[in-house]
Amino acid sequence: MVKRRTAGGTAARITGEALMLCVCAVFFIPFYYLLVNTFKPSQEAAFFPMALPKAFTLENYREAFRLINFFSSLRNSVVITVVSVVIIILFGAMAAYPIVRRKAKWSKVLFIYFLLGFMVPVQTTMIPLFRLISGLNLQNSVLGMIVLYSSWCNFALFIYQGFLSTVPLELEEAALIDGCNLWQMFWRIVFPLLKPATTTIVIFDVMWIWNDFILPYLFLSSSENFTLIMEVYKGVGQFSNNWSVMLSTMVIVLIPITVFYVIMQRHIIAGITSGAVKG
Amino acid sequence: MKANIRRELPYMLFALPALVVYTVLTVYPLVQTLGLSFTNWDGFSMEGLQFVGLANFRNLFGDRAMRITLRNTVLYSIVQPLAVTALAIPLSLALNTGMRSRNLQRAVFFFPSVPSAIILGYLWAYILAPTGTGIVNKFLGLFGIAPKLWLADPTLAMLSVIGVSVWSSVGWHACIYLAKLQGIPQDYYEAATIDGAGPWQRFRYITFPMLSSAMTISVLLLVLNALKVYDLPFALTKGGPGNATTMVSQMIIKTGFVEKSYGKATAMSAVFFVFIAVVSVVQLTLMKKREADLDG
Repeated sequence: MVKRRTAGGTAARITGEALMLCVCAVFFIPFYYLLVNTFKPSQEAAFFPMALPKAFTLENYREAFRLINFFSSLRNSVVITVVSVVIIILFGAMAAYPIVRRKAKWSKVLFIYFLLGFMVPVQTTMIPLFRLISGLNLQNSVLGMIVLYSSWCNFALFIYQGFLSTVPLELEEAALIDGCNLWQMFWRIVFPLLKPATTTIVIFDVMWIWNDFILPYLFLSSSENFTLIMEVYKGVGQFSNNWSVMLSTMVIVLIPITVFYVIMQRHIIAGITSGAVKG
Repeated sequence: MKANIRRELPYMLFALPALVVYTVLTVYPLVQTLGLSFTNWDGFSMEGLQFVGLANFRNLFGDRAMRITLRNTVLYSIVQPLAVTALAIPLSLALNTGMRSRNLQRAVFFFPSVPSAIILGYLWAYILAPTGTGIVNKFLGLFGIAPKLWLADPTLAMLSVIGVSVWSSVGWHACIYLAKLQGIPQDYYEAATIDGAGPWQRFRYITFPMLSSAMTISVLLLVLNALKVYDLPFALTKGGPGNATTMVSQMIIKTGFVEKSYGKATAMSAVFFVFIAVVSVVQLTLMKKREADLDG
Protein backbone atom coordinates (compact mmCIF):
# COMPACT_ATOMS: atom_id res chain seq x y z
CA MET A 1 0.00 0.00 0.00
CA VAL A 2 2.83 2.38 0.91
CA LYS A 3 4.72 1.30 -2.15
CA ARG A 4 1.92 2.30 -4.48
CA ARG A 5 2.59 5.99 -3.91
CA THR A 6 6.35 5.87 -4.46
CA ALA A 7 6.95 3.22 -7.09
CA GLY A 8 3.67 3.99 -8.76
CA GLY A 9 1.50 1.99 -11.17
CA THR A 10 2.89 -1.19 -12.62
CA ALA A 11 5.16 -2.46 -9.85
CA ALA A 12 2.49 -2.01 -7.20
CA ARG A 13 -0.12 -3.67 -9.36
CA ILE A 14 2.06 -6.68 -9.98
CA THR A 15 2.86 -6.97 -6.27
CA GLY A 16 -0.83 -6.72 -5.42
CA GLU A 17 -1.77 -9.33 -7.93
CA ALA A 18 1.00 -11.69 -6.82
CA LEU A 19 -0.15 -11.26 -3.23
CA MET A 20 -3.76 -12.07 -4.12
CA LEU A 21 -2.66 -15.15 -6.06
CA CYS A 22 -0.75 -16.34 -2.98
CA VAL A 23 -3.88 -15.88 -0.87
CA CYS A 24 -5.85 -17.82 -3.50
CA ALA A 25 -3.31 -20.64 -3.38
CA VAL A 26 -3.53 -20.93 0.43
CA PHE A 27 -7.32 -20.73 0.25
CA PHE A 28 -7.38 -23.60 -2.22
CA ILE A 29 -5.05 -25.94 -0.27
CA PRO A 30 -7.92 -28.13 1.05
CA PHE A 31 -8.95 -29.01 -2.50
CA TYR A 32 -5.37 -29.68 -3.58
CA TYR A 33 -5.05 -31.93 -0.52
CA LEU A 34 -8.30 -33.69 -1.39
CA LEU A 35 -7.23 -34.41 -4.94
CA VAL A 36 -3.54 -35.18 -4.54
CA ASN A 37 -4.02 -37.80 -1.82
CA THR A 38 -6.40 -39.84 -3.93
CA PHE A 39 -3.52 -40.79 -6.23
CA LYS A 40 -1.24 -42.14 -3.49
CA PRO A 41 -1.23 -45.42 -1.58
CA SER A 42 -2.60 -44.84 1.97
CA GLN A 43 0.78 -45.28 3.59
CA GLU A 44 2.47 -42.66 1.44
CA ALA A 45 -0.48 -40.28 1.82
CA ALA A 46 -0.29 -40.40 5.60
CA PHE A 47 3.43 -39.63 5.61
CA PHE A 48 3.50 -36.96 2.90
CA PRO A 49 -0.02 -35.55 2.61
CA MET A 50 1.13 -32.43 0.77
CA ALA A 51 3.62 -33.97 -1.67
CA LEU A 52 2.84 -34.95 -5.24
CA PRO A 53 2.31 -38.70 -5.59
CA LYS A 54 5.57 -40.69 -5.91
CA ALA A 55 3.86 -43.94 -6.79
CA PHE A 56 0.91 -42.74 -8.86
CA THR A 57 -2.05 -45.08 -8.47
CA LEU A 58 -5.72 -45.26 -9.41
CA GLU A 59 -6.32 -48.10 -6.97
CA ASN A 60 -8.20 -45.79 -4.54
CA TYR A 61 -10.71 -44.87 -7.21
CA ARG A 62 -11.16 -48.50 -8.21
CA GLU A 63 -11.82 -49.35 -4.57
CA ALA A 64 -14.19 -46.38 -4.12
CA PHE A 65 -16.22 -47.43 -7.15
CA ARG A 66 -16.37 -50.96 -5.75
CA LEU A 67 -17.66 -49.73 -2.36
CA ILE A 68 -20.26 -47.17 -3.35
CA ASN A 69 -23.27 -47.63 -5.62
CA PHE A 70 -22.10 -44.85 -7.88
CA PHE A 71 -24.45 -45.29 -10.79
CA SER A 72 -27.59 -45.93 -8.81
CA SER A 73 -26.95 -42.98 -6.47
CA LEU A 74 -26.02 -40.74 -9.40
CA ARG A 75 -29.28 -41.68 -11.08
CA ASN A 76 -31.22 -40.97 -7.86
CA SER A 77 -29.52 -37.60 -7.40
CA VAL A 78 -30.15 -36.62 -11.02
CA VAL A 79 -33.79 -37.73 -11.02
CA ILE A 80 -34.57 -36.08 -7.68
CA THR A 81 -32.81 -32.82 -8.60
CA VAL A 82 -34.10 -32.48 -12.15
CA VAL A 83 -37.73 -33.37 -11.48
CA SER A 84 -37.88 -31.26 -8.30
CA VAL A 85 -36.36 -28.24 -10.02
CA VAL A 86 -38.76 -28.55 -12.98
CA ILE A 87 -41.74 -28.68 -10.60
CA ILE A 88 -40.38 -25.74 -8.60
CA ILE A 89 -39.94 -23.69 -11.78
CA LEU A 90 -43.42 -24.44 -13.10
CA PHE A 91 -45.26 -23.91 -9.82
CA GLY A 92 -43.19 -20.88 -8.84
CA ALA A 93 -43.61 -19.08 -12.18
CA MET A 94 -47.32 -19.79 -12.30
CA ALA A 95 -47.91 -18.52 -8.78
CA ALA A 96 -45.80 -15.41 -9.31
CA TYR A 97 -47.88 -14.38 -12.31
CA PRO A 98 -51.16 -13.42 -10.58
CA ILE A 99 -49.24 -12.03 -7.62
CA VAL A 100 -47.59 -9.45 -9.87
CA ARG A 101 -50.35 -8.91 -12.42
CA ARG A 102 -53.47 -8.81 -10.23
CA LYS A 103 -53.70 -5.74 -8.08
CA ALA A 104 -56.52 -7.29 -6.04
CA LYS A 105 -56.31 -7.82 -2.31
CA TRP A 106 -56.17 -11.62 -2.52
CA SER A 107 -52.94 -11.57 -4.50
CA LYS A 108 -51.23 -9.37 -1.91
CA VAL A 109 -52.38 -11.58 0.94
CA LEU A 110 -51.21 -14.63 -0.98
CA PHE A 111 -47.76 -13.13 -1.51
CA ILE A 112 -47.32 -12.45 2.20
CA TYR A 113 -48.54 -15.97 2.97
CA PHE A 114 -45.84 -17.38 0.67
CA LEU A 115 -43.16 -15.07 2.06
CA LEU A 116 -43.76 -16.35 5.57
CA GLY A 117 -42.35 -19.67 4.37
CA PHE A 118 -38.87 -18.15 4.41
CA MET A 119 -39.06 -18.16 8.19
CA VAL A 120 -39.89 -21.85 8.44
CA PRO A 121 -36.78 -24.02 8.34
CA VAL A 122 -37.37 -27.70 7.71
CA GLN A 123 -36.09 -28.43 11.23
CA THR A 124 -39.31 -26.99 12.65
CA THR A 125 -41.63 -29.07 10.48
CA MET A 126 -39.76 -32.33 10.01
CA ILE A 127 -41.40 -34.36 12.74
CA PRO A 128 -45.01 -33.94 11.52
CA LEU A 129 -43.65 -34.02 7.97
CA PHE A 130 -42.13 -37.42 8.59
CA ARG A 131 -45.45 -38.72 9.81
CA LEU A 132 -47.23 -37.20 6.81
CA ILE A 133 -44.81 -38.69 4.27
CA SER A 134 -44.90 -42.09 6.00
CA GLY A 135 -48.71 -41.92 5.99
CA LEU A 136 -48.61 -41.44 2.22
CA ASN A 137 -46.18 -44.38 1.98
CA LEU A 138 -43.59 -42.12 0.39
CA GLN A 139 -40.83 -42.50 2.94
CA ASN A 140 -37.65 -44.06 1.62
CA SER A 141 -38.50 -43.33 -2.00
CA VAL A 142 -37.23 -41.08 -4.77
CA LEU A 143 -40.81 -39.90 -5.36
CA GLY A 144 -41.10 -38.89 -1.71
CA MET A 145 -37.96 -36.75 -1.98
CA ILE A 146 -39.39 -35.02 -5.07
CA VAL A 147 -42.64 -34.30 -3.23
CA LEU A 148 -40.67 -32.86 -0.31
CA TYR A 149 -38.50 -30.61 -2.48
CA SER A 150 -41.44 -29.36 -4.54
CA SER A 151 -42.50 -27.32 -1.51
CA TRP A 152 -39.34 -25.24 -1.89
CA CYS A 153 -41.15 -23.17 -4.53
CA ASN A 154 -41.22 -20.00 -2.34
CA PHE A 155 -37.74 -19.00 -3.41
CA ALA A 156 -38.61 -19.40 -7.10
CA LEU A 157 -41.82 -17.48 -6.57
CA PHE A 158 -39.92 -14.66 -4.91
CA ILE A 159 -37.34 -14.39 -7.72
CA TYR A 160 -40.01 -14.57 -10.44
CA GLN A 161 -42.06 -11.97 -8.63
CA GLY A 162 -39.14 -9.54 -8.56
CA PHE A 163 -38.29 -10.15 -12.20
CA LEU A 164 -41.83 -10.10 -13.56
CA SER A 165 -42.52 -6.65 -12.11
CA THR A 166 -39.91 -5.30 -14.56
CA VAL A 167 -41.53 -6.95 -17.62
CA PRO A 168 -43.89 -4.59 -19.54
CA LEU A 169 -47.52 -5.57 -19.94
CA GLU A 170 -48.02 -4.68 -23.63
CA LEU A 171 -47.06 -8.05 -25.11
CA GLU A 172 -49.46 -9.88 -22.85
CA GLU A 173 -52.33 -7.55 -23.71
CA ALA A 174 -51.61 -7.88 -27.41
CA ALA A 175 -51.59 -11.67 -27.18
CA LEU A 176 -54.91 -11.71 -25.33
CA ILE A 177 -56.45 -9.43 -27.93
CA ASP A 178 -55.15 -11.77 -30.66
CA GLY A 179 -57.26 -14.51 -29.11
CA CYS A 180 -54.82 -16.43 -26.92
CA ASN A 181 -56.33 -17.64 -23.68
CA LEU A 182 -54.57 -16.90 -20.41
CA TRP A 183 -52.91 -20.32 -20.22
CA GLN A 184 -51.48 -20.19 -23.77
CA MET A 185 -50.43 -16.60 -23.35
CA PHE A 186 -48.57 -17.36 -20.12
CA TRP A 187 -46.52 -20.23 -21.53
CA ARG A 188 -45.91 -18.74 -24.99
CA ILE A 189 -45.29 -15.10 -24.11
CA VAL A 190 -44.57 -14.59 -20.41
CA PHE A 191 -42.61 -17.69 -19.46
CA PRO A 192 -39.94 -17.32 -22.20
CA LEU A 193 -39.42 -13.71 -21.11
CA LEU A 194 -38.62 -14.91 -17.60
CA LYS A 195 -35.56 -16.84 -18.77
CA PRO A 196 -32.95 -14.83 -16.77
CA ALA A 197 -34.93 -15.46 -13.59
CA THR A 198 -35.33 -19.14 -14.52
CA THR A 199 -31.55 -19.45 -14.95
CA THR A 200 -30.98 -18.01 -11.47
CA ILE A 201 -33.51 -20.35 -9.90
CA VAL A 202 -32.11 -23.40 -11.71
CA ILE A 203 -28.58 -22.63 -10.50
CA PHE A 204 -29.49 -22.14 -6.85
CA ASP A 205 -32.06 -24.89 -6.54
CA VAL A 206 -29.86 -27.43 -8.33
CA MET A 207 -27.02 -26.65 -5.91
CA TRP A 208 -29.27 -26.73 -2.83
CA ILE A 209 -31.14 -29.90 -3.72
CA TRP A 210 -28.13 -31.77 -5.05
CA ASN A 211 -26.13 -30.94 -1.91
CA ASP A 212 -28.96 -31.32 0.58
CA PHE A 213 -28.23 -33.77 3.35
CA ILE A 214 -30.88 -33.30 6.02
CA LEU A 215 -33.88 -34.58 4.01
CA PRO A 216 -32.23 -37.67 2.45
CA TYR A 217 -30.70 -38.42 5.85
CA LEU A 218 -34.10 -38.37 7.54
CA PHE A 219 -36.27 -39.81 4.77
CA LEU A 220 -34.12 -42.32 2.86
CA SER A 221 -33.20 -45.52 4.65
CA SER A 222 -32.16 -48.07 2.05
CA SER A 223 -29.04 -47.91 -0.01
CA GLU A 224 -30.75 -48.33 -3.40
CA ASN A 225 -32.54 -45.00 -2.88
CA PHE A 226 -29.49 -43.07 -1.65
CA THR A 227 -28.30 -39.86 -3.27
CA LEU A 228 -24.60 -39.21 -3.88
CA ILE A 229 -24.21 -37.19 -0.67
CA MET A 230 -25.67 -40.12 1.27
CA GLU A 231 -22.99 -42.38 -0.25
CA VAL A 232 -20.33 -40.14 1.31
CA TYR A 233 -22.12 -40.33 4.65
CA LYS A 234 -22.41 -44.11 4.36
CA GLY A 235 -18.73 -44.31 3.43
CA VAL A 236 -17.69 -42.52 6.62
CA GLY A 237 -19.41 -45.22 8.62
CA GLN A 238 -17.90 -48.04 6.60
CA PHE A 239 -14.40 -47.24 5.47
CA SER A 240 -13.33 -43.96 7.05
CA ASN A 241 -10.14 -45.60 8.29
CA ASN A 242 -9.07 -46.06 4.69
CA TRP A 243 -8.89 -42.35 4.12
CA SER A 244 -7.45 -42.39 0.60
CA VAL A 245 -10.51 -44.33 -0.54
CA MET A 246 -12.73 -41.97 1.43
CA LEU A 247 -11.16 -38.94 -0.26
CA SER A 248 -11.58 -40.63 -3.66
CA THR A 249 -15.26 -41.14 -2.89
CA MET A 250 -15.57 -37.44 -2.13
CA VAL A 251 -13.86 -36.53 -5.41
CA ILE A 252 -16.17 -38.82 -7.36
CA VAL A 253 -19.21 -37.29 -5.67
CA LEU A 254 -17.87 -33.78 -6.28
CA ILE A 255 -17.34 -34.22 -10.02
CA PRO A 256 -20.95 -33.77 -11.27
CA ILE A 257 -21.64 -30.60 -9.26
CA THR A 258 -18.23 -29.17 -10.21
CA VAL A 259 -19.00 -29.72 -13.89
CA PHE A 260 -22.32 -27.96 -13.34
CA TYR A 261 -20.52 -25.08 -11.61
CA VAL A 262 -17.99 -24.69 -14.41
CA ILE A 263 -20.72 -24.63 -17.06
CA MET A 264 -22.91 -22.20 -15.12
CA GLN A 265 -20.12 -20.10 -13.58
CA ARG A 266 -20.80 -17.15 -15.84
CA HIS A 267 -24.39 -16.94 -14.61
CA ILE A 268 -23.67 -17.41 -10.93
CA ILE A 269 -22.43 -13.94 -10.04
CA ALA A 270 -25.20 -12.49 -12.20
CA GLY A 271 -27.60 -14.74 -10.32
CA ILE A 272 -26.39 -13.62 -6.92
CA THR A 273 -26.82 -10.03 -8.06
CA SER A 274 -30.28 -10.31 -9.52
CA GLY A 275 -31.59 -12.87 -7.10
CA ALA A 276 -30.32 -12.10 -3.66
CA VAL A 277 -29.56 -8.41 -3.85
CA LYS A 278 -32.76 -6.66 -4.63
CA GLY A 279 -32.59 -2.87 -4.85
CA MET B 1 -68.97 -9.58 -6.88
CA LYS B 2 -69.75 -12.58 -9.03
CA ALA B 3 -68.28 -10.97 -12.12
CA ASN B 4 -65.27 -10.12 -10.04
CA ILE B 5 -64.65 -13.72 -9.05
CA ARG B 6 -65.20 -14.84 -12.62
CA ARG B 7 -62.49 -12.49 -13.74
CA GLU B 8 -60.05 -13.40 -10.95
CA LEU B 9 -60.64 -17.15 -10.96
CA PRO B 10 -58.35 -18.10 -13.86
CA TYR B 11 -55.56 -16.17 -12.16
CA MET B 12 -56.28 -17.86 -8.85
CA LEU B 13 -55.92 -21.24 -10.54
CA PHE B 14 -52.39 -20.27 -11.57
CA ALA B 15 -51.40 -19.96 -7.93
CA LEU B 16 -53.14 -23.16 -6.90
CA PRO B 17 -50.37 -25.79 -7.38
CA ALA B 18 -47.80 -23.80 -5.40
CA LEU B 19 -50.40 -22.97 -2.79
CA VAL B 20 -51.28 -26.64 -2.30
CA VAL B 21 -47.72 -28.00 -1.96
CA TYR B 22 -46.66 -25.13 0.27
CA THR B 23 -49.71 -25.40 2.51
CA VAL B 24 -49.61 -29.20 2.81
CA LEU B 25 -45.84 -29.58 3.19
CA THR B 26 -44.83 -26.45 5.11
CA VAL B 27 -47.72 -24.64 6.76
CA TYR B 28 -49.70 -27.68 7.89
CA PRO B 29 -46.70 -29.44 9.50
CA LEU B 30 -45.70 -26.15 11.14
CA VAL B 31 -49.15 -25.73 12.67
CA GLN B 32 -48.98 -29.35 13.81
CA THR B 33 -45.59 -28.77 15.41
CA LEU B 34 -46.89 -25.76 17.27
CA GLY B 35 -50.02 -27.60 18.41
CA LEU B 36 -48.33 -30.87 19.31
CA SER B 37 -45.75 -29.08 21.43
CA PHE B 38 -48.48 -28.67 24.07
CA THR B 39 -49.37 -32.36 24.10
CA ASN B 40 -47.95 -35.71 25.14
CA TRP B 41 -47.80 -36.97 21.53
CA ASP B 42 -46.01 -40.32 21.16
CA GLY B 43 -45.12 -39.78 17.51
CA PHE B 44 -47.47 -42.38 16.10
CA SER B 45 -51.16 -42.20 16.85
CA MET B 46 -53.27 -39.21 17.63
CA GLU B 47 -55.40 -41.31 19.98
CA GLY B 48 -55.03 -40.73 23.66
CA LEU B 49 -53.52 -37.34 22.89
CA GLN B 50 -53.53 -35.17 25.98
CA PHE B 51 -53.04 -31.49 26.46
CA VAL B 52 -50.12 -31.08 28.86
CA GLY B 53 -49.82 -27.30 28.81
CA LEU B 54 -46.31 -26.01 29.14
CA ALA B 55 -44.83 -29.25 30.51
CA ASN B 56 -42.73 -29.88 27.40
CA PHE B 57 -41.35 -26.37 27.52
CA ARG B 58 -40.53 -26.61 31.22
CA ASN B 59 -38.80 -29.86 30.45
CA LEU B 60 -36.88 -28.18 27.73
CA PHE B 61 -35.53 -25.21 29.61
CA GLY B 62 -34.72 -27.36 32.60
CA ASP B 63 -32.50 -29.49 30.37
CA ARG B 64 -28.81 -28.64 30.64
CA ALA B 65 -27.91 -30.09 27.23
CA MET B 66 -30.62 -27.98 25.62
CA ARG B 67 -29.28 -24.83 27.25
CA ILE B 68 -25.81 -25.63 25.97
CA THR B 69 -27.02 -26.17 22.39
CA LEU B 70 -28.98 -22.94 22.53
CA ARG B 71 -25.89 -21.10 23.72
CA ASN B 72 -23.81 -22.74 20.96
CA THR B 73 -26.30 -21.74 18.29
CA VAL B 74 -26.47 -18.14 19.51
CA LEU B 75 -22.68 -17.88 19.77
CA TYR B 76 -22.22 -19.38 16.32
CA SER B 77 -24.90 -17.16 14.78
CA ILE B 78 -23.18 -14.03 16.09
CA VAL B 79 -19.53 -14.86 15.48
CA GLN B 80 -19.80 -16.58 12.09
CA PRO B 81 -21.79 -13.80 10.32
CA LEU B 82 -19.51 -11.13 11.85
CA ALA B 83 -16.37 -12.93 10.70
CA VAL B 84 -17.73 -13.60 7.21
CA THR B 85 -18.82 -9.97 6.79
CA ALA B 86 -15.52 -8.60 8.13
CA LEU B 87 -13.65 -10.69 5.53
CA ALA B 88 -16.11 -10.59 2.62
CA ILE B 89 -16.10 -6.79 2.30
CA PRO B 90 -12.29 -6.43 2.00
CA LEU B 91 -12.25 -9.49 -0.27
CA SER B 92 -14.84 -7.93 -2.56
CA LEU B 93 -12.73 -4.73 -2.70
CA ALA B 94 -9.67 -6.77 -3.66
CA LEU B 95 -11.63 -8.68 -6.29
CA ASN B 96 -13.01 -5.45 -7.71
CA THR B 97 -9.64 -4.05 -8.80
CA GLY B 98 -8.87 -4.59 -12.43
CA MET B 99 -6.39 -7.43 -11.93
CA ARG B 100 -5.71 -9.63 -14.92
CA SER B 101 -6.42 -12.84 -13.00
CA ARG B 102 -9.61 -11.54 -11.36
CA ASN B 103 -11.87 -14.17 -12.93
CA LEU B 104 -9.62 -16.95 -11.70
CA GLN B 105 -9.53 -15.37 -8.24
CA ARG B 106 -13.32 -15.11 -8.08
CA ALA B 107 -13.69 -18.72 -9.14
CA VAL B 108 -11.22 -19.84 -6.45
CA PHE B 109 -12.91 -17.95 -3.63
CA PHE B 110 -16.37 -19.00 -4.71
CA PHE B 111 -15.53 -22.68 -5.17
CA PRO B 112 -16.01 -23.77 -1.50
CA SER B 113 -19.69 -22.86 -1.94
CA VAL B 114 -20.04 -25.60 -4.54
CA PRO B 115 -19.61 -28.86 -2.58
CA SER B 116 -22.06 -29.99 0.07
CA ALA B 117 -21.10 -28.93 3.60
CA ILE B 118 -21.07 -32.64 4.43
CA ILE B 119 -18.10 -33.18 2.11
CA LEU B 120 -16.32 -30.06 3.38
CA GLY B 121 -16.82 -31.21 6.97
CA TYR B 122 -15.37 -34.67 6.37
CA LEU B 123 -12.50 -33.19 4.35
CA TRP B 124 -11.57 -30.73 7.11
CA ALA B 125 -11.85 -33.45 9.73
CA TYR B 126 -8.86 -35.11 8.00
CA ILE B 127 -7.03 -31.79 7.64
CA LEU B 128 -7.44 -30.90 11.33
CA ALA B 129 -6.80 -34.40 12.65
CA PRO B 130 -3.99 -35.00 15.17
CA THR B 131 -2.78 -37.95 13.03
CA GLY B 132 -0.56 -38.11 9.93
CA THR B 133 -3.30 -36.69 7.72
CA GLY B 134 -3.56 -33.51 9.78
CA ILE B 135 -1.65 -30.94 7.76
CA VAL B 136 -2.59 -28.06 10.07
CA ASN B 137 -0.75 -29.63 12.96
CA LYS B 138 2.11 -30.65 10.66
CA PHE B 139 2.40 -27.04 9.54
CA LEU B 140 2.38 -25.73 13.13
CA GLY B 141 5.03 -28.32 13.92
CA LEU B 142 7.41 -26.60 11.52
CA PHE B 143 7.42 -23.69 13.96
CA GLY B 144 7.85 -25.93 16.96
CA ILE B 145 4.21 -25.61 18.04
CA ALA B 146 2.84 -28.73 19.68
CA PRO B 147 -0.08 -30.44 17.87
CA LYS B 148 -3.48 -29.15 18.95
CA LEU B 149 -6.66 -31.19 19.33
CA TRP B 150 -8.69 -29.02 16.94
CA LEU B 151 -11.78 -31.17 17.08
CA ALA B 152 -11.49 -32.71 20.52
CA ASP B 153 -11.04 -29.62 22.67
CA PRO B 154 -14.40 -27.87 23.30
CA THR B 155 -13.23 -24.31 22.57
CA LEU B 156 -11.04 -25.25 19.61
CA ALA B 157 -13.81 -27.42 18.17
CA MET B 158 -16.23 -24.49 18.10
CA LEU B 159 -13.46 -22.34 16.64
CA SER B 160 -12.83 -24.95 13.94
CA VAL B 161 -16.50 -25.19 13.00
CA ILE B 162 -16.69 -21.40 12.71
CA GLY B 163 -13.40 -21.23 10.81
CA VAL B 164 -14.33 -23.85 8.22
CA SER B 165 -17.73 -22.28 7.74
CA VAL B 166 -16.18 -18.82 7.25
CA TRP B 167 -13.78 -20.30 4.70
CA SER B 168 -16.65 -21.91 2.82
CA SER B 169 -19.01 -18.93 2.68
CA VAL B 170 -16.76 -15.88 2.42
CA GLY B 171 -16.50 -16.11 -1.40
CA TRP B 172 -20.25 -16.31 -1.91
CA HIS B 173 -20.86 -13.26 0.25
CA ALA B 174 -17.99 -11.35 -1.36
CA CYS B 175 -19.92 -11.85 -4.63
CA ILE B 176 -22.97 -10.16 -3.11
CA TYR B 177 -20.83 -7.12 -2.25
CA LEU B 178 -18.95 -7.27 -5.52
CA ALA B 179 -22.17 -6.91 -7.47
CA LYS B 180 -22.98 -3.75 -5.56
CA LEU B 181 -19.44 -2.33 -5.81
CA GLN B 182 -19.57 -2.51 -9.58
CA GLY B 183 -22.61 -0.24 -9.53
CA ILE B 184 -20.93 2.64 -7.66
CA PRO B 185 -20.31 5.49 -10.12
CA GLN B 186 -16.62 6.30 -10.54
CA ASP B 187 -17.28 10.08 -10.36
CA TYR B 188 -18.09 9.79 -6.65
CA TYR B 189 -14.52 8.72 -6.01
CA GLU B 190 -13.06 11.33 -8.34
CA ALA B 191 -15.04 14.12 -6.68
CA ALA B 192 -13.98 12.90 -3.23
CA THR B 193 -10.33 12.69 -4.28
CA ILE B 194 -10.45 16.27 -5.57
CA ASP B 195 -11.90 17.29 -2.20
CA GLY B 196 -8.85 15.69 -0.59
CA ALA B 197 -10.33 12.44 0.72
CA GLY B 198 -7.78 9.65 1.36
CA PRO B 199 -8.41 5.94 0.64
CA TRP B 200 -9.85 5.27 4.11
CA GLN B 201 -12.18 8.25 3.92
CA ARG B 202 -13.31 7.23 0.45
CA PHE B 203 -14.14 3.77 1.80
CA ARG B 204 -15.78 5.09 4.95
CA TYR B 205 -17.96 7.77 3.33
CA ILE B 206 -18.63 6.38 -0.16
CA THR B 207 -18.10 2.63 -0.49
CA PHE B 208 -19.36 1.49 2.89
CA PRO B 209 -22.69 3.41 2.79
CA MET B 210 -23.24 2.29 -0.82
CA LEU B 211 -22.89 -1.32 0.32
CA SER B 212 -25.65 -1.06 2.91
CA SER B 213 -28.37 -2.80 0.88
CA ALA B 214 -25.99 -5.63 0.00
CA MET B 215 -25.13 -5.87 3.68
CA THR B 216 -28.79 -6.21 4.64
CA ILE B 217 -29.28 -9.23 2.44
CA SER B 218 -25.89 -10.79 3.13
CA VAL B 219 -26.15 -10.54 6.91
CA LEU B 220 -29.75 -11.73 6.89
CA LEU B 221 -28.81 -14.80 4.85
CA LEU B 222 -25.78 -15.45 7.06
CA VAL B 223 -27.70 -15.24 10.32
CA LEU B 224 -30.60 -17.37 9.11
CA ASN B 225 -28.25 -20.02 7.73
CA ALA B 226 -26.19 -19.92 10.92
CA LEU B 227 -29.26 -20.44 13.09
CA LYS B 228 -30.29 -23.44 10.97
CA VAL B 229 -26.80 -24.90 10.57
CA TYR B 230 -26.70 -28.68 10.61
CA ASP B 231 -24.50 -30.34 7.99
CA LEU B 232 -21.11 -28.83 8.78
CA PRO B 233 -20.90 -29.50 12.54
CA PHE B 234 -22.53 -32.88 11.93
CA ALA B 235 -19.73 -33.89 9.55
CA LEU B 236 -16.83 -32.09 11.20
CA THR B 237 -17.33 -32.77 14.91
CA LYS B 238 -20.60 -34.73 15.18
CA GLY B 239 -21.57 -32.02 17.67
CA GLY B 240 -18.76 -32.99 20.01
CA PRO B 241 -16.75 -33.17 22.08
CA GLY B 242 -19.68 -33.77 24.41
CA ASN B 243 -22.20 -31.18 23.30
CA ALA B 244 -19.60 -28.48 22.66
CA THR B 245 -20.60 -27.94 19.01
CA THR B 246 -24.13 -29.38 19.05
CA MET B 247 -26.54 -26.90 17.49
CA VAL B 248 -30.30 -26.66 17.98
CA SER B 249 -31.05 -28.37 14.64
CA GLN B 250 -29.01 -31.39 15.61
CA MET B 251 -30.60 -31.51 19.04
CA ILE B 252 -34.11 -31.51 17.53
CA ILE B 253 -33.20 -34.38 15.22
CA LYS B 254 -31.53 -36.30 18.03
CA THR B 255 -34.43 -35.79 20.43
CA GLY B 256 -37.14 -36.49 17.85
CA PHE B 257 -35.70 -39.16 15.59
CA VAL B 258 -33.20 -40.96 17.80
CA GLU B 259 -34.58 -40.65 21.34
CA LYS B 260 -38.16 -40.46 20.03
CA SER B 261 -39.17 -37.89 22.65
CA TYR B 262 -41.65 -36.27 20.31
CA GLY B 263 -43.27 -33.90 22.78
CA LYS B 264 -39.93 -32.44 23.73
CA ALA B 265 -38.73 -32.31 20.12
CA THR B 266 -41.84 -30.49 18.90
CA ALA B 267 -41.48 -28.04 21.81
CA MET B 268 -37.89 -27.41 20.71
CA SER B 269 -39.05 -26.91 17.13
CA ALA B 270 -41.71 -24.45 18.30
CA VAL B 271 -39.18 -22.44 20.30
CA PHE B 272 -36.77 -22.58 17.38
CA PHE B 273 -39.43 -21.30 14.97
CA VAL B 274 -40.42 -18.38 17.20
CA PHE B 275 -36.75 -17.55 17.73
CA ILE B 276 -35.99 -17.50 13.99
CA ALA B 277 -39.12 -15.49 13.22
CA VAL B 278 -38.28 -12.86 15.84
CA VAL B 279 -34.62 -12.63 14.79
CA SER B 280 -35.46 -12.23 11.09
CA VAL B 281 -38.13 -9.58 11.66
CA VAL B 282 -35.99 -7.58 14.11
CA GLN B 283 -32.97 -7.84 11.87
CA LEU B 284 -34.78 -6.84 8.72
CA THR B 285 -36.32 -3.82 10.49
CA LEU B 286 -32.97 -2.70 11.94
CA MET B 287 -31.06 -3.14 8.71
CA LYS B 288 -33.71 -1.36 6.65
CA LYS B 289 -33.59 1.53 9.11
CA ARG B 290 -29.81 1.60 8.86
CA GLU B 291 -30.04 1.65 5.06
CA ALA B 292 -32.47 4.57 5.22
CA ASP B 293 -30.19 6.45 7.63
CA LEU B 294 -27.16 5.93 5.43
CA ASP B 295 -29.02 6.97 2.31
CA GLY B 296 -30.43 10.10 3.91
